[in-house]
Amino acid sequence: MRPTRSDFARGLTIFLAAAVIILMLDGAVNVLMAQNPFGAPRPSAEPQVGGIVGWLLSKQSEFYREMSSTIRAAKSDGSAVWTLLAISFGYGVFHAAGPGHGKAVISSYLVANQETARRGIVLSFASALMQSLVAVVIVGICAWLLNATAKTMCGAEKAVEIASYALIAAFGARLVWTKGGGFMRALQVPQPAAVLAAAAHRHDHDHGHDHHHHHDHSHVHDQHCGHSHGPVPSELAGPGGWRRGFGAIFAVGVRPCSGAILVLVFALAQGLFWAGIAATFVMGLGTAITVATIAVIAVSAKDLARRLSAGREGGGTLVMRGVEFGAAGLVLLFGVGLLFGYIAAERVTCL
Amino acid sequence: MAMRRLLGLLLLAGGLALGAGAAQAHPHVWITATSELIYAPDGSITGVRHAWTFDDMFSTYALQGIETKTKGVYSREELAPLAQTNVESLKEFAFFTFAKADGKKEKFQEPVDYFLEYRDATLTLHFTLPLKTPVKPKQLVLDVFDPAFFIDFKLADKDPVRLVGAPAACQMKFQRPNDGTANAQKLGEQTFMSGDNSNYGAMFANKITVDCP
Repeated sequence: MRPTRSDFARGLTIFLAAAVIILMLDGAVNVLMAQNPFGAPRPSAEPQVGGIVGWLLSKQSEFYREMSSTIRAAKSDGSAVWTLLAISFGYGVFHAAGPGHGKAVISSYLVANQETARRGIVLSFASALMQSLVAVVIVGICAWLLNATAKTMCGAEKAVEIASYALIAAFGARLVWTKGGGFMRALQVPQPAAVLAAAAHRHDHDHGHDHHHHHDHSHVHDQHCGHSHGPVPSELAGPGGWRRGFGAIFAVGVRPCSGAILVLVFALAQGLFWAGIAATFVMGLGTAITVATIAVIAVSAKDLARRLSAGREGGGTLVMRGVEFGAAGLVLLFGVGLLFGYIAAERVTCL
Repeated sequence: MAMRRLLGLLLLAGGLALGAGAAQAHPHVWITATSELIYAPDGSITGVRHAWTFDDMFSTYALQGIETKTKGVYSREELAPLAQTNVESLKEFAFFTFAKADGKKEKFQEPVDYFLEYRDATLTLHFTLPLKTPVKPKQLVLDVFDPAFFIDFKLADKDPVRLVGAPAACQMKFQRPNDGTANAQKLGEQTFMSGDNSNYGAMFANKITVDCP
């Protein structure tokens, strides 16, 4: 059946819905995180979104600005290192709660790929860990080993940044390619018959049996097959699944945070490089907690959508394939947008 | 019709979410600035002279890898390559200096007389931005800020702005961004919700207005 106008409208709506879900989540979590971090009372000033975003920004700045004085203090008083770690943790949590592409890419990836919440948490922590590692490696090699200037370091940072955005775009393009196939087939199959598996899904299966029979895994049937069921999560989290996840970790984690670089160089100059490294990893831990929270919410929202749409035979599959395709498209958009500067990211410190 | 309404709602929500999502992060560099407006004898404005003191952390970062004769002492000559890098990088950001003469945007030439000074563990960048063409407006408005708010500009508490050689009748008004927190909270309703965040840092601008009747 050829897609009709209403099919197109539906496809468009689904795509927009997917984009909106992720962006809204991002925004909503920013707001929620800011409203009640660690049970602190909500700022009484203005209840609007903006007031909270503003408060969040000022809180981040506050933590960040305290870092330099705390590192200086740690030179004479070792116990100040604990304060430094506490500040770094808070900064990490707040920093990730603010606008940023990392969590958006991870959430989109999770939604596109039918990932479990558990994997979402693992991916968030792994990418934050990698981000910290990259920062330490850059400063360790450039500043500590080579005693390079800030100009050289900023050049290295810029190169890493571009590579990271290109990776996200490539990663997104691959997701779109795989998810697009599944979505197009879901669109073209007459209702209520449905196409279940994504294009990438391969399995050894005997097709000689009766097609009205229920299987416990999903795959492409011919069009007479009217039943639908989603893939079993364990199938997706197999060894190949983890390898796919590594792509997400790498694409997001390879770009270090400008703040971490500054803190590391400052700590090095004070002769407390190890304290800077510890602070960077604690910062990453804080970031990971926030990103993991957002990722879990994104995955839960998708599960909810799946349950809501499950009532409709075939149509439900179409909706889910559409959401996945939309999320894949979003990863690609993020990558391309960042690469060409349409999406503003945290600036590299080059002055 | 329900579909169309849904579509409209989604578009609206998407716009809002994008507006909030694309907003910039918080500042990483703090600059305490003093600025001078330079007047020619005929009363026209020829340029702006800035002195920008960087925060502790950024100063240390910028000094990374710079060799000196005496440890911890940086002469103007030793800092010259860094000053060169600074002004070259700042060009990309229009030197964070935006001038309007009687409502018309003015352009600046390449900076001159630039140098760095190291004192009390901080770096101060001095540079002069000559106007492309000197102007003699009734009102000159000068904004100093980073639209992306990666750098937080604060004009010095003492003598933040000076008029050098200005006609006696000229009057200067200087408006700071309010206390950072209050201002950041205020910006939300207007900027974040309207989705226009291209000039987000303008909320943190230091506005200098000079009226010459």
